[in-house]
Amino acid sequence: MIVITERCVGCAICMLVCPAEAIRVEGKAEVNIEKCESCKKCLIYCPINAVSWVE
Amino acid sequence: MRVAVIGAGLGGLLTAALLSEKGYEVEVFEKLPFFGGRFTNFNYKGYEITTGALHMIPHGSKGPLAKLLKKAGAKIEIVDSKPNGTALYRGEEIVVNRKSFPLKSRLMFGFYYLKNLFREVKLSEVESRLDDFSAKFLRAFLGWSLSVTPSQVTFSEVYPIYEATYEFGGPGIPVGGCKSVINALIEVIKSNDCKLERNTVRAIRKENFGLSVHFYRRESKKFEVVISDIGPIETCRLTELKLPELSESRGIKYSIALEEPLIDHTSVMFTLETRRICGINQVTNADPNLGKKHFLMAHQPMITSNVKFEIAEGLRDLKEILKGYKYELLAIQSFSDGWPVNRAKIGCDCKNETSIKGLYLVGDGAKGDDIEVDGIALGVERVVKKIEKEVVL
Ligand SMILES: Cc1cc2nc3c(=O)[nH]c(=O)nc-3n(C[C@H](O)[C@H](O)[C@H](O)COP(=O)(O)OP(=O)(O)OC[C@H]3O[C@@H](n4cnc5c(N)ncnc54)[C@H](O)[C@@H]3O)c2cc1C
Repeated sequence: MIVITERCVGCAICMLVCPAEAIRVEGKAEVNIEKCESCKKCLIYCPINAVSWVE
Repeated sequence: MRVAVIGAGLGGLLTAALLSEKGYEVEVFEKLPFFGGRFTNFNYKGYEITTGALHMIPHGSKGPLAKLLKKAGAKIEIVDSKPNGTALYRGEEIVVNRKSFPLKSRLMFGFYYLKNLFREVKLSEVESRLDDFSAKFLRAFLGWSLSVTPSQVTFSEVYPIYEATYEFGGPGIPVGGCKSVINALIEVIKSNDCKLERNTVRAIRKENFGLSVHFYRRESKKFEVVISDIGPIETCRLTELKLPELSESRGIKYSIALEEPLIDHTSVMFTLETRRICGINQVTNADPNLGKKHFLMAHQPMITSNVKFEIAEGLRDLKEILKGYKYELLAIQSFSDGWPVNRAKIGCDCKNETSIKGLYLVGDGAKGDDIEVDGIALGVERVVKKIEKEVVL
């Protein structure tokens, strides 16, 4: 499962690249787990390593 | 002569392009799956939304960046703003030029210029002596272009921008947005047979022959020169370098899609009577391909550290400014800690040379005497000249 950590500053790059439109950002990113397709694109594109994957 | 560039932000790519043109063997390393850092864009719902910048080059086609892009052979077209800027004041949009400011305030500015020669003057002191329009314009200008308030900066820190604006003129928008600048630089680098590689650098070490760059999985490579575009703090983390602590400037950017246009020119409309929002541009006026409909970007500095509160204040401003307009809020992006508006507040940038031989800093945090990407260009120019002088091919 994708988890947004405390480090997130809200730059929204994850939202821009998410193919499932599962991310909303307002000060901090929030993932809609129902919509998330687990592609991990948000994790790879996050410039400050604020996204992690938890099994 | 092997040169490594760490980070494919604007500063790194500009340095790599210029050095590759001169015949140096350059390799660029970037940890992210895209190039351009905070100066590129992604298409989102039909709009070219950026990773940071407001699609603007501070001094347009005549500024330091434009000059270096030309020198590097990077082909891009910049639409210069006409007029230099406007101000939304007391419900009216006014074109801003010298004459928009009352004579008394212009004289006051001159007075503080002289006073500043003798002692450091905070801009808030100047602000308190200006007429209402000039004071509010000063605040909006600083918030839009530097994400700072008058109490955070001194007269001498900001004066070079005033001079640069006078010399080079107002902003411009590159056709295709930030990304077109990045793509043009990449094309130059590749055409000179230099490499761009996706790889995260985890250490830079001094060696007898020069410097070694270390990656994950224990790989390393040797270089005579290493150019770091990842900012002073990260560079210190990867080396034994010690640099003074920097304070960054933070801001929030709103991307908005509009049915009917709000602005009828290609420059910035500074918003003077707001809580937070300092200015808005409508970038589709310069390049219609930047958005399906009219595309606005609004920007504010972060005044408190409470992001939610800052956004709520910004949204209240936007609601008032866009009253009666049909619009859609595409993205709210906040910038701080590791992905800020500026790694160093104006006037606080580090030098390009470091105490480690062969290691140079470029980009935000090591800018020359100008703002944003034009400041980055001045820093890059200095590094390229230095390398050419000291290191033979
Ligand atoms: C909201 C906002 C609005 C702005 N508006 C404007 C504007 O309109 N006009 C303007 O001129 N400027 C503007 N700026 C500023 C401008 O975007 C930046 O100054 C500029 O993009 C910084 O470029 P850079 O080369 O210093 O670094 P960056 O763009 O930060 O690039 C650094 C690169 O290094 C990579 N990296 C980091 N660590 C490593 C590592 N260990 N190994 C490999 N790679 C690594 C990163 O992934 C990144 O790609 C704005 C900024 C923001 C945030």
